[in-house]
Amino acid sequence: MDSNSAGGSGSSNSSDFVRKLYKMLENPSDESVVRWGNDGDSFVVLENEKFTKHILPKHFKHSNFASFVRQLNKYDFHKVRHNNEENGQSQYGPGAWEFKHPDFKMNNKDALDNIRRKAPAPRKPNQANVDDLGMPSQQMDMVSGQLMATQAQLHTLEQRYNELSIHHSMLLQEVIGLQKTVVNHEHVMQNVMTFLHGVDSQQRRNSKLLFNGASRQNGNAEPPAQANEDDHPASPLQHASKLLSETNADVMLNPRNLEHMNEITMRMNGTLTTPPPDVLRGGTRPTSRGPPSATSTGSMRLENLDNLVYPVGQNNGIDPMYSEHINNIPYAMPPKAPDAGEAKPVEVRKKGLFADPGWIRPPQILLVEDDPTCRRIGSKFLYAFHCAIDSALDGLEAVNKMNAGSKYDLVLMDIIMPNLDGVSACHLIRQFDTTPIIAMTSNIRSDDISMYFQHGMNDVLPKPFTKEGLLHMLEKHLVHLKKPSPHGDTMPAPQPVQVARQLILKEEDSPAKSPATVSNWNSPSQLPGVSPVGSNMTDEYAQGLQVQQPHHPGAYGVNPMQPGMGFTTSPQVPMQARQQQQQLPPAGHRRQISDISGGDDMNNPAKRQQMFPPQMPGQINPMQSRPR
Amino acid sequence: MSIPGAEDSIDPSTFEQILEMDEDEVEREFSKSIVYDFFTQAEGTFTKMDTNLDKKDLKTLSELGHFLKGSSATLGLTKVKDSCEKIQHYGQLKDETGTKDIKEEEALKKLETIIKQTKDEFHEVEKVLKEFYNDDE
Repeated sequence: MDSNSAGGSGSSNSSDFVRKLYKMLENPSDESVVRWGNDGDSFVVLENEKFTKHILPKHFKHSNFASFVRQLNKYDFHKVRHNNEENGQSQYGPGAWEFKHPDFKMNNKDALDNIRRKAPAPRKPNQANVDDLGMPSQQMDMVSGQLMATQAQLHTLEQRYNELSIHHSMLLQEVIGLQKTVVNHEHVMQNVMTFLHGVDSQQRRNSKLLFNGASRQNGNAEPPAQANEDDHPASPLQHASKLLSETNADVMLNPRNLEHMNEITMRMNGTLTTPPPDVLRGGTRPTSRGPPSATSTGSMRLENLDNLVYPVGQNNGIDPMYSEHINNIPYAMPPKAPDAGEAKPVEVRKKGLFADPGWIRPPQILLVEDDPTCRRIGSKFLYAFHCAIDSALDGLEAVNKMNAGSKYDLVLMDIIMPNLDGVSACHLIRQFDTTPIIAMTSNIRSDDISMYFQHGMNDVLPKPFTKEGLLHMLEKHLVHLKKPSPHGDTMPAPQPVQVARQLILKEEDSPAKSPATVSNWNSPSQLPGVSPVGSNMTDEYAQGLQVQQPHHPGAYGVNPMQPGMGFTTSPQVPMQARQQQQQLPPAGHRRQISDISGGDDMNNPAKRQQMFPPQMPGQINPMQSRPR
Repeated sequence: MSIPGAEDSIDPSTFEQILEMDEDEVEREFSKSIVYDFFTQAEGTFTKMDTNLDKKDLKTLSELGHFLKGSSATLGLTKVKDSCEKIQHYGQLKDETGTKDIKEEEALKKLETIIKQTKDEFHEVEKVLKEFYNDDE
């Protein structure tokens, strides 16, 4: 570029170009072509052509007027415009170019030092802009095409990420559940061991006494030395305790890590507090076949109720010498005879349906429902159950309320509502809140339900709901607000969880079992505090719908949940599609609901433990104490 | 407790659980206000249904059907509920069970019939309920 030769920053303070310019104007012979302006603060090129041809080469070694002007611009000279003047013309003539710089003045050579090339930085963007404008549109297309592709890629990645994070949180929950199960098994085993040790030592003592007594009767005072030597726990017992202490799940598994991780994921995506039940069941079922001891007691109680022995009195009512009794010990049976609690709770359930469920404080419930009739009845029921109620008329209002910081213990959410449907509302709420949300809907096809779960709903309350169904939901999801049940307090229940699960499984596994067998068991468990699982729920639901079909346990699993989960991005569309096909659900569907509640419970053994007082057998008895 | 003369149109246990909420079994303030509000709500919905039937707005008709279905089901008014469900289906261009597709023309025709039938069923149950609440009007 010519700037290198003509300009550039020389060793002296003022630049070559400026000095040359000044020098050029000092030459009076060229005054007719280029000279100082009349006021001495500008210079004027009077004759463009002559200047270019003769003067430029003399001083700047080129004959390119455009280059000269560009150079001037670089040094921040500005062409003086004459548009404002009356005739719109320069005082120096129509073809004259007048240039000005505040520091370029006749008779002020020192000021020349202040004239510098403009910093290169501001030049660059100009340059770039010029390039951009000149860029062929083809290139632009290509770039925008690339951009689109990248965006699409990003979108897919995002979806994949969401999918994976949901999977991840499900797996986490699954693993946590398994760990808890294992730890619980461990405790069961330890309890069994303790018990067996007790039985074993007592047996030994008794046999000694017998032996001694026998010898005394015979008048033989010889001490039974041999018996003393044998006074060790039976060798299988010793072996078992050794194995147990070696593989202590409490020590080997550290659930805290996982729980912490789980918490983080929950907080991050805020979705899916309850994994879809099908996934859960698939995961927990095989493992929960676990300890054979529990299985045997569980099934024992189902099939052989009359033979049961209840631990009463000092010896816990069991003759350790009587081996048949040992086999019939109902595991984890409360020391208090269940007969005492048998009749009373049933009565309470019947008459005192609206008795205070015993909250430690009134639960705050948000009822989201567009239909005034349902809203009023729902509120009335909730009020009767001693809840504090807030209501929203549609999903939008619900989201706004929760987003504004209102805190609730439970949200009951209608699905089909104007403005914003319940599933979308739930999806939005899950972005910032994990309050349990229960879907209240008559759309309870299994695919509808799995969609509710996918969008972060915790449970489903089929419509039209009954007060039992509603109470059940409250008790199930607000366990932490319940006062401890007096029955639960007095009865130590080492591991009710295991038994419960076994019972449920047992029931599921043998669908052919006649309900009559079950119903002759006089259930003690229909306390208000008991969380009904499985069959109880089915029963309530049947009541709610008033389906005239007979109770039909044989229909279990007719319509299993699809294990494949489609991740729907738009909750509304599939909903409507399904709604079109919606019809009165067949009996098989009802089981699905109970599966859900069962599944949910399985997911949270800790919760279940609280909810099941030890009177487990009652869980298998939906027929008996239906409040009618 | 079942309502005399309405054994087949009112589900006793569903209705009963609303009656149970009444503090005074003579006045029946709560259930009566719910039921009477439902009457108003239903009449309003029927008017909207007529308007949208004229406009041939199937989507809105289906939504109205769903809306009335919810409240009638909550009260246990089974007949009205079942008919509302059909309105919902027809509005979605499905047959009465919601399984097969039907043509718009057929849907409109069926809607006209079923809306009329729903009204009849509603007025029948309305009469019974008004008698139950000793309303002489």
